[in-house]
Amino acid sequence: MAGFRDDPVIQSVLQSLEGDRIAVAAAKRKSFIVMGAGAIIIALTVFLVSGLIWGYIAGGIVLIYGIVLNFKTAPAFNAYKNNFKLKVIGAALRDIDQSLLIEPDAGIKEREFIKTRLFDHTPDRYSSEDLVSGKADKTSFYFSEVDAEYKTEHTDNKGRKTETWHTIFKGILFVADFNKKFHGTTIVTARDLGGTVGSWIAKAAPIFFSSASKEVELENVDFNKTFITNSTDQIEARYILTPAMMDRLCELNSKCKNTISLSFIDSRVYIAFPLDENYFEPPLFKSILDPSCLERDIYIIGFMHGIVKELDLNTRIWGKE
Amino acid sequence: MIFAAIIIVIVLIVGISFYNGLIAKRNQVANAFSAIDAMLKKRYDLIPNLVETVKQYTNYEEGVLTKITSLRTKATSGQLNNEEKIDLDKQIGTAISGMMLTVENYPDLKANQNFLNLQSTWTESEEQIAAARRNYNSSVTTYNNAIMMFPGSIFAGMLNYQPFPVIEISAEERKNISAKDLFNS
Repeated sequence: MAGFRDDPVIQSVLQSLEGDRIAVAAAKRKSFIVMGAGAIIIALTVFLVSGLIWGYIAGGIVLIYGIVLNFKTAPAFNAYKNNFKLKVIGAALRDIDQSLLIEPDAGIKEREFIKTRLFDHTPDRYSSEDLVSGKADKTSFYFSEVDAEYKTEHTDNKGRKTETWHTIFKGILFVADFNKKFHGTTIVTARDLGGTVGSWIAKAAPIFFSSASKEVELENVDFNKTFITNSTDQIEARYILTPAMMDRLCELNSKCKNTISLSFIDSRVYIAFPLDENYFEPPLFKSILDPSCLERDIYIIGFMHGIVKELDLNTRIWGKE
Repeated sequence: MIFAAIIIVIVLIVGISFYNGLIAKRNQVANAFSAIDAMLKKRYDLIPNLVETVKQYTNYEEGVLTKITSLRTKATSGQLNNEEKIDLDKQIGTAISGMMLTVENYPDLKANQNFLNLQSTWTESEEQIAAARRNYNSSVTTYNNAIMMFPGSIFAGMLNYQPFPVIEISAEERKNISAKDLFNS
């Protein structure tokens, strides 16, 4: 990976972006200082010269000016971010595989997110960005950052409504062409409390579940400790989740902080990686020339690209090219 | 009196549900085996084509090809019990796997599209049968546990239900199928 950073073209791109970063950071800093000054004037008016209208007006004007300044940095900041993604992350991707491509403004569509059947709620607020697509040998794949939330409304006894937003999923959703053909749906989710209770209820009272999906009892003890598997076709689930595939999924999961979830639908595998961080964003108040600033992004790209190999998806001997 | 009646009703309901549960589990085993059977039949349909193609391109031992054909005829005769079917399938699987590995020495055959299609269909059917066997074993384990554990064991004794043996899965089958081993690519 050192080769990627040492490339003279990338070096010159990084130098140029560093100039942009310094300019954007200075403008942002200035806007924050002005906004801070406005807030301080208002606070002083409240605590020291309570009721002085001119204090509020002066503080308000300064605060609004700071906000305007901050808004004015947006085009330069967005251009800096886009250039970073297209030129630096784009080059890092090509360094791993020439076919890899990033589209900062594209993402996985909400329709497809719902189709994965990995999540228990339909999103009320959904965003997805930084779509990376490409091929690892014979297997095409893509992944994108996704942030999906649903809301609940609560009305108190005085009739006041409060909205609460809950995260459905935040992280990276990875999609790859699976190396076997299948027609049913197989879902592998974390065997957390919800999963266990859900599974127990499903077993105990099938009458309440209209879905044709049933729990699949697999032989791998470690796999069963981590995951719960449901499928519309018991044999097909085992056709997909071979003993070797279960070992590979346990191995893949062991590299992740939070338990992954998978679904196998329409001859594709969907893998949801819950992650707290936002990836592929350039630093603003730290030098872009610092080698550590790209480490996290490069690791995640290599990790996602490596999944195809890790799950052995390039082995195409089952009649699917 | 009412209390005794309630107890009797509860015992009856529990008894009926266990009895029905056992029958459902036994039917599930039969169902799982018929899935294997259907897949085996589908796979046996590939054999005549496979043998013919190999014959055309190689001087592969005639005796082995004849043996494969006769095993297929026996397997599709419809006169075998479940154990015989599994045993015969093992013999056919071993013979075909041996044949598949030998074709490495015949570049013309390896380049033949028809053969390549047959080969990947065969591998696919192997994997599907392996999945069906694991499904069968899972059903058998559930059934065996049900008839061996109390109170299922009481009903099993009354119905003369015996445990079913699971199908042994060979070490080769447990191992991941490697494209390299099969196609040397």
